Amino acid sequence: MKSEILYPGAFPMVRVELAAGENIKAESGAMVACSPTIDIESKMEGGFLGALSRKFLTGEKFFFQTLRASRGPGEALLAPTVPGEIAILELDGVNEYMVQKDGFLAGADAIVIESQMQSMSRGLLGGEGFFILKISGKGMLVLNSFGAIHKIELKPNQEYIVDNSHLVAWSTTTSYNIEKATSGWVASFTSGEGFVCRFRGPGLVYIQSRNPGSFGAWIRQFIPVSE
Amino acid sequence: MSPNALCFGDEFPAAGAPCFVQVDTGGLTIAFESDEGDGVREATQFSALTVSAGGIDHDHLVVKWNNIRGERTLYLKNPDVIRAFREAVPDHLDAPLAQVAERVRQVRQRRRLVWGIVGGAILSSVLGLWLGSDILVEVAVSRIPVEWEQKLGESAYRDFLTHQDVVKEGPAVAAVEEMTHRLTEQIQNNPYSFQVTVVKSDVINAFALPGGYVVVFTGLMKKAENGEEVAGVLSHELNHVLQRHGLERIVKSVGLLTAVAIVFGNQQGLIGMMKQLGIELLTLKFGREQETEADLKGLELLQRAKIDPSGMIRFFERLSEKGEGRMEWLSTHPMSAARAERLKGELAALPKTLPVPFTFDWKQVQASLGSQPVAVP
Ligand SMILES: [Zn+2]
Repeated sequence: MKSEILYPGAFPMVRVELAAGENIKAESGAMVACSPTIDIESKMEGGFLGALSRKFLTGEKFFFQTLRASRGPGEALLAPTVPGEIAILELDGVNEYMVQKDGFLAGADAIVIESQMQSMSRGLLGGEGFFILKISGKGMLVLNSFGAIHKIELKPNQEYIVDNSHLVAWSTTTSYNIEKATSGWVASFTSGEGFVCRFRGPGLVYIQSRNPGSFGAWIRQFIPVSE
Repeated sequence: MSPNALCFGDEFPAAGAPCFVQVDTGGLTIAFESDEGDGVREATQFSALTVSAGGIDHDHLVVKWNNIRGERTLYLKNPDVIRAFREAVPDHLDAPLAQVAERVRQVRQRRRLVWGIVGGAILSSVLGLWLGSDILVEVAVSRIPVEWEQKLGESAYRDFLTHQDVVKEGPAVAAVEEMTHRLTEQIQNNPYSFQVTVVKSDVINAFALPGGYVVVFTGLMKKAENGEEVAGVLSHELNHVLQRHGLERIVKSVGLLTAVAIVFGNQQGLIGMMKQLGIELLTLKFGREQETEADLKGLELLQRAKIDPSGMIRFFERLSEKGEGRMEWLSTHPMSAARAERLKGELAALPKTLPVPFTFDWKQVQASLGSQPVAVP
């Protein structure tokens, strides 16, 4: 399996080359184009309950698609829905990442995707919602972001504070506390951004340079409201 | 040899260096992967180690020590390595290791419990759909503790007030306090300690948040012809709180699934869900049945408090007559003549009591708000 980011920047695509028999998991709807040798199977990841929980609790990701090069080698072009960068991570079997529900674009077949429930206080206050994806295993993991994707590297015990709506993914070796944002961070309680995450290293934290919620609110002001 | 741990140190990447940890009788041997075949090896004695729980779920075993290259931090998760480590370590690490193991066990147990709740929730939402969802919403609401409701309301309330011009003292505050006191002392088994704040604003409005946090705008007080009219609105708002209408709305909006989760003991999940769905407490609209209930219960409460209920009816009538001004209460409270009529009918059915007037002078209260009372033809 080989992968390459095309048109890096705001409107990228990923090209994945598959050898005969190889397959890849992709977010449903990520597929743009592919060779005729590739078959698409919709498959529930993590069994019935896992799929249900994703459907009900993290949004639309009921199914992941499996793209399989069943009739010979071929390639697939994948793209996210929102404008923003793509990052490719290589998992080696020991490093694991928590990924916010919209951050997953695709992954090698040998990566394991679990829906995980956040601890009460985190799900309660964190903007990333009650369920997030925990990704482990071995192979390629493709993340997508809204805006640019930025990597924060944390040494052991080094701290960093992130507005939770900008989170994309973070290593499971990090830990974090949810804190109420001080006034500089936040417009109001009702904007839903009243909380920030204080991360502690070691590990990586990937953030996105734009906040989808704020962007939505900004767009809405231009949409005429009909009574 | 595939890696079974991550090692952190000054010269390693921030994501950690994948390594292979082997537990020997006297300590650990760590082999790092390298592109040139034979990897680098490091060894350390058990006596140099400290251990703790770490990672996002506190289920990693974190082992630290110092060597000539600086501090080393090892994140272990592989159960085989952890077992081997536990068996081999000397006594001084037993206690911290036991703590780590306990912590991991708790995390696993919690996860099982949580999934049990979700499974139960899915199962019973199917059941709930079958039996009727309103009952379920009611049961869910009744399971939410008042303290939790207060926390929810209080944060919205405090946040709202920081952006407002609060009237802290004076005749208006005293008058509203007197009304609140008269009303609340008639509520039996009242679990709420109501807080009523007067906010300087021309909007003709008042609202109540879950948990008993009430705001009355000076615009409403200027518009009212007497204290009884304001007390009528207040009584209506207090009954939204007492009947837990806000919670009912929230539970309904976040869906049956959450409602079931609440019944099964996960009350706190609601706030998370609410934030996700962007429900805004301050713009929460009540349903028509809830408004009717607040009207009727409000009327009864006025009656018990010996506050003339005709003030409430009169105020509603005036609001329904004309749409001039910024009648904000109207946006959340569609007025109809029918609504006032129903209250009149209800009032006629209640036993007559002799009203006890308020101690304040309404004209004085209004004068303290800084403008002439609005003349009503
Ligand atoms: Zn009302």
